[in-house]
Parts: sequence; structure tokens; C-alpha cells
Amino acid sequence: MLTPADIGVAQAGSLLGQTSPLVKLGLALAWLIGLLFTLDPGPPAILALAAILAGLTLGGIPPSRLAQAFAPLSAVALGVGLANLLFSASNADPAATELARVGPLRLTTEAALIAGGLAARVFAIVSVGAVFAQTTDPARLVDALVQQGRAPARFAYGALAAYQALPRLADDLATIRQARRIRGLRGGWHPRLFVSLLVRAIRHADQLALAMDARAFGSGPRSTFRPISWGWRDLAVGAGGLAVLGAALLR
Amino acid sequence: MTTTAAGPAGASPAATDPTRWRTRDILVTAIIGVAFGVAFVGLNAAWSILAPASAAAPLVAFLLYGGWLVPAVLAPLIVRKPGAALYAELVAAGVSALLLSPWGPDVLLSGFVQGAAAELVFAFTLYRRWSMPVVAVAAVASAAAAWLHDWVVWYPDLAMDVQIARGIAMAFSAVVIAGFGSAALARSLRRAGVLEGFPD
Repeated sequence: MLTPADIGVAQAGSLLGQTSPLVKLGLALAWLIGLLFTLDPGPPAILALAAILAGLTLGGIPPSRLAQAFAPLSAVALGVGLANLLFSASNADPAATELARVGPLRLTTEAALIAGGLAARVFAIVSVGAVFAQTTDPARLVDALVQQGRAPARFAYGALAAYQALPRLADDLATIRQARRIRGLRGGWHPRLFVSLLVRAIRHADQLALAMDARAFGSGPRSTFRPISWGWRDLAVGAGGLAVLGAALLR
Repeated sequence: MTTTAAGPAGASPAATDPTRWRTRDILVTAIIGVAFGVAFVGLNAAWSILAPASAAAPLVAFLLYGGWLVPAVLAPLIVRKPGAALYAELVAAGVSALLLSPWGPDVLLSGFVQGAAAELVFAFTLYRRWSMPVVAVAAVASAAAAWLHDWVVWYPDLAMDVQIARGIAMAFSAVVIAGFGSAALARSLRRAGVLEGFPD
């Protein structure tokens, strides 16, 4: 759980893996914003299906890996759907058709339709996010943000350095928990654990900063180790993604 | 901006412009974002359990909401640089997205609005006041932005009284968890001695 999911060779070498992360990020946000304009379950269902198919074929994601992302999703989709069903404004509308009555709550067909559409929206957005996360190498994402997105290099690479410290934080957590057990404290979870972990994390950040300063981090124009340039894949994926969005919305 | 030649990144803090980010400021803010991005995995799981339970106990899940806003308050409270709230919350959101958040890319949008709202409050004080009321207002601003965002994206159809109740639960949670919680965390960290060289 604490270690970042490694992008497999198949995913990294696939069409989606070779596309600029910036294009994928832009598309993910475009699909998200496009979905906000509809409460109908149709378009999100189409987009979810398109994202999953693209992830499996163009992204080379093994189906079992993709399935992992959908475990927490079902609960969230249920939560969002249920909240919109139970507390919908149309439940109070006398003109709405009554579907069922649960205790003091009156559920209407209108509310159920909208709740279904919103649960589908969760499904679509998560599918897009899963495909993005499983075809995008974090280092490549940051390279693209800096080289193609003109993000400030010190902040972007600082974040990457901190992100790559994650496995080390996982080790620290194991050590801290062992230390607690040796002192006779309970082995489970305790808020103090998080404070101890933050202490270790900040120490680690200090050491990283020192090491990076010693190598003149951010002190002037640098050459790039992994140059990224726009290519035909970016155009193809970008145009294809927008076409699917358009087709789903204007169907 | 002062005209002092900013030495190599990370030169002694006294010699440089106080708004300039040292490498240490960047790394500490980023690692707070990363640590909370990971903590969000647990928070997302708790939410996934509590949210469907809203049928029995409405809006209880929203009392967790402040947990998502902590980086936007804690990081600026420690490094006290312009942009720290936005940077920390965006890093946390990005890590959360890479670790397969159940909200997909929307977590980036959430992180942006939450961080930006807290940032605005700190900017209004010109990054000079760090008292508890300012921290609490920043936490509430962040919750308000999240409330509006969630209204549009996830709960467009709720009855108005439910929207307001949701907002109150979120504001309460933000003050307790993100406001007082961040202040307590910053105090613990300072006592542990890891914040030497940061303003207090």
C-alpha cells in the first residue's frame, strides 16, 4: 500500500505509456469537466467503457491490475449514489413520481435516475484515473510537467524527490512500529505513529535538500537527462480522446 | 523582492529574501504533501466505509473531511512561504491520484481548490500572521472551496438544507482536524526538534 505501483514494461512501452503524460492529464480533466454537463447515466457509462478498453488494449494494463482500482470504487459509487438518492431535492417535490417510501423518506423516480447517473459518473472518473495512474511513470510525468508544461523545475523535481522517498518512509514506519512493540506498547495503529513518521519524513527531507543543494539543485539552467518531445502519439491520443468525449456527450 | 543577490539555493536564511523558497522549504513542504497523500489512502478507505452508511447516520462521513485539508494548513504553518498551501495540497492530491484514489483525476481538482482557498487566506495576511484564528479561517476557507467543488461534481441534486448541513459538518471538521490538528502537529514536530531553522 505504501509503495508506489510500479509501471510495468508493457505499460511503459504501450501507446498510452509513450504518450506525453500532459496529454493524458489534459484528457482526464477534459473528460471530468465534460461529465459535469450531464446527469444522464449514458455518457459516463460510455466513457468508462472507453477508458477501460483503451487501458487494456492501448495501455497494455493486465486486467488483474486494472481490477484492483475498482475495489474501493464500488463503495464510493454506492456512497455518492445513495446520498443523492436519499437527500435529493426532487424527493420533496410533490409533482415527482413516488418510487418507494422508507420510513420518513420519500424516494422518487427522478432522484433515482439522477443518483444512478452520478454513480456512473464516479465509475467513469475512476476508470480514467486508473488508466492514467497505471500507464504513467511519475518521473516521466514530472519531466513532462517541466519540459512541456513549463512547471517551475525546482518545485516539480522537489516533489518527485519527496515522492521517491516513499519506500523509505515505509521502512521507517516498520521500524517505528517495532520500536513501539519493544517498549511494550500495543502493536496496532496509534496517532503517535503518524507524528513519529512525520518527524522521520522531515529529517529525510532535510537530508535530501542538503544533498540536492550540494549538487547545485535549481541554481541555473540545466541540461535535461530525459528529454521529452511532442510526437504523433500525443496528437493521436489527444484527438481520439476528445472525439470519444464528444461522441459520448452528443450521442 | 529585495535586491540582495540570492546565493545558491539553500544559503543561510537570513541572507536571502524571506519569500524565496530554500531547497529545504521545498523538500519539507513536498514531503508533508507526500506523507498526507499516503495517509489519504487510509482516509479514502474510511470514507468508503462510512459514506454508504449515510443512509443510517446522515453526514457522519463528512466529519472526516478535515483530514483531507491538513496539508494545506500544516505546510504553510511550518515553512511560512507564499504558495506552500497550494503546493502541499497539490502534491498530496497527486500522490493520492498515483496511488489510485477512488476519486480518480478529480482529486487533483479538489486538491487545487482546497489548497488555493487556504492560500488566499494566508495571502491576505501577507504571510505574516500565523495565529490560531487565521489558521482556523484558512481551514474553513479550504472546506468551503471543497464544499462548492463537491456540490458541482458529486452532489448536484441534494436538497438545500442537506447541502447546508453538509457544509456545517465540513467546516466543523476543518476547524477541528485541519485547524487545531495542524497546530498540534506543528507543535509536536517543533518539540521533536525537526523544525530548527524554520520560523516559529
